[in-house]
Amino acid sequence: MIYLLIAILILFALLGAPLFSIIIAAAMTGFYFGDIDLSVMAIELYRIADTPILLALPLFTFAGYILGESNTSDRLVRLTQAFFGWMPGGLAIVAFIVCALFTAFTGASGVTIVAMGALLYPALKQAGYKDKFSLGLVTTSGSLGLLLPPSLPLILYGVIAQQMSSGVEISIEKLFIAGILPAILMIILLSLWSIWANRKNRVPLISFSLQKALLAAREAIWEIPLPIFVFTGIYSGFFAVSEAAAVTAMYVLIVEVFIYKEIRFSQLASIIRESMVMVGGILLILGVSLGLTNYLIDAEVPMKLFELCQTYVTSKLVFLILLNIFLLILGAMLDIFSAIIIMVPLMLPVALEYGVDPVHLGIIFLANMQIGYFTPPVGMNLFIAGYRFNKPIMDIYKATIPFMLVLLLAVLIITYWPWLSLVFIS
Amino acid sequence: MTSKQTSFTQTIITVLQKIEVGILIGLLLSMIFMAVLQIVLRNLFDSGILWGDALIRILVLWIGLIGAMVASRNNHHISIDVISRFLPERIKELTNLITAIFTSLVCAVMTYFSIGFVIMEKEDGLMAIANIPVWVCESIIPVSFAIISLRYIILSFTCLSKLLKHIPK
Repeated sequence: MIYLLIAILILFALLGAPLFSIIIAAAMTGFYFGDIDLSVMAIELYRIADTPILLALPLFTFAGYILGESNTSDRLVRLTQAFFGWMPGGLAIVAFIVCALFTAFTGASGVTIVAMGALLYPALKQAGYKDKFSLGLVTTSGSLGLLLPPSLPLILYGVIAQQMSSGVEISIEKLFIAGILPAILMIILLSLWSIWANRKNRVPLISFSLQKALLAAREAIWEIPLPIFVFTGIYSGFFAVSEAAAVTAMYVLIVEVFIYKEIRFSQLASIIRESMVMVGGILLILGVSLGLTNYLIDAEVPMKLFELCQTYVTSKLVFLILLNIFLLILGAMLDIFSAIIIMVPLMLPVALEYGVDPVHLGIIFLANMQIGYFTPPVGMNLFIAGYRFNKPIMDIYKATIPFMLVLLLAVLIITYWPWLSLVFIS
Repeated sequence: MTSKQTSFTQTIITVLQKIEVGILIGLLLSMIFMAVLQIVLRNLFDSGILWGDALIRILVLWIGLIGAMVASRNNHHISIDVISRFLPERIKELTNLITAIFTSLVCAVMTYFSIGFVIMEKEDGLMAIANIPVWVCESIIPVSFAIISLRYIILSFTCLSKLLKHIPK
């Protein structure tokens, strides 16, 4: 009976029923058979109001949407190009850095490809990079930066890991510190590959112009402090993450609406609506899955899962390999927020039993998810790039695969070399 | 129904939707303001509003649920979209109908049980912030699920009428 119900729910989920309704139905079925009053679902949902860190979610999302709608991307590209464009492989490296920064602030919701790609793709081609290379670069960069503050998926991982934690302390600040080196590793590997891939295709160097640099800096003068105070605020511990979110939201609102005047009041209303629809979708799933998680722990599902795993997988190494494969597939099929909310409660206890550090697991999880965004055939960013640059999806597949292999290498290093993530926190 | 009546209902719906978004905007802006105010008070004046943090946390819940209500207007909820994009149009209309009915049912059940929860909390009579009782803060849960359920019922009818168009008379 119960297996039949589970099968029906999975079928409904695959047919496109909203995920939150599937989770509610699953949790309620479990509680019903466990003779627990179903109003427990509302009690669990209300726990959203008991989790102070969640404040960061609407605030950073709002700030990200505003930055996405104004000309920040334009100024950011010009600024970075003026300062780093003279280096060999300059523009490609610039592209990786600005996309990582922009994605960290706006979330990997495709905004980076739409806003940054529109600037960088023609710029790369104009600078002499091949079409295929440029296309692959902008598609790949759409999810770079998920490991840098104030990335929402990383915050969400922290929130859920905290709910699950059995004695292990997992702070969001620690996650952000752990993400620095892996993020830098990805950017370095991608940059090295870009230089290597263009070794025969001499891209003319541009010389550094102080005048241009100063001009670009003056244009972006109001936005330059933003990453600085978010990064230093969070890393130094001066700001709690939710405080940084509040200041960022207020600052971005004032700068883009009143100083740059790029967002009109009428636009502000629709930006708020759209960003809060996204926040609502995430918070709803989070709230109801708190109920499901509670049920799963009561029913000792993670423990049973671990026992099942252990009959087949005995070493940590094999576990990590399987984890990588599983996460890559998951990342291509599920959007990052629901993947985190649904899988982390199941996966974290199992990983802990295998001796994986919870902070390290967070970094592994997101690094894999990042690749999932452009894993053929269904990675979301492939479709966004195809749509945005008006290219057949097969071209996008072919252009992206070399970059994917490079990032796969980065993910392997990140997974099997915990030092890289944990060096600054232990 | 005459066309005059239809346009009248349409106007009411539009007005209600505007109010909904208006509330959402108001709540978000007050949340930003409150959060920054608390930081300023804490760091510069070493004080703060006693119920400020609690209010902000409750605002997060309200904004989330109202955002989810708005998302239900046109089924903009997060879902796994792997099979449906490969289905033929007719079958997709059928599965849309089934999933919409399913969602409205689930939300109706959720509404029923969260009303029970809110009534239970009202009897306890605890205060959340200043002199606002906890149950008032929690009341957004049944309200939002009722509205989401309603919206999916409407969506089911839209799907049904689309489906019926294809059946030859």
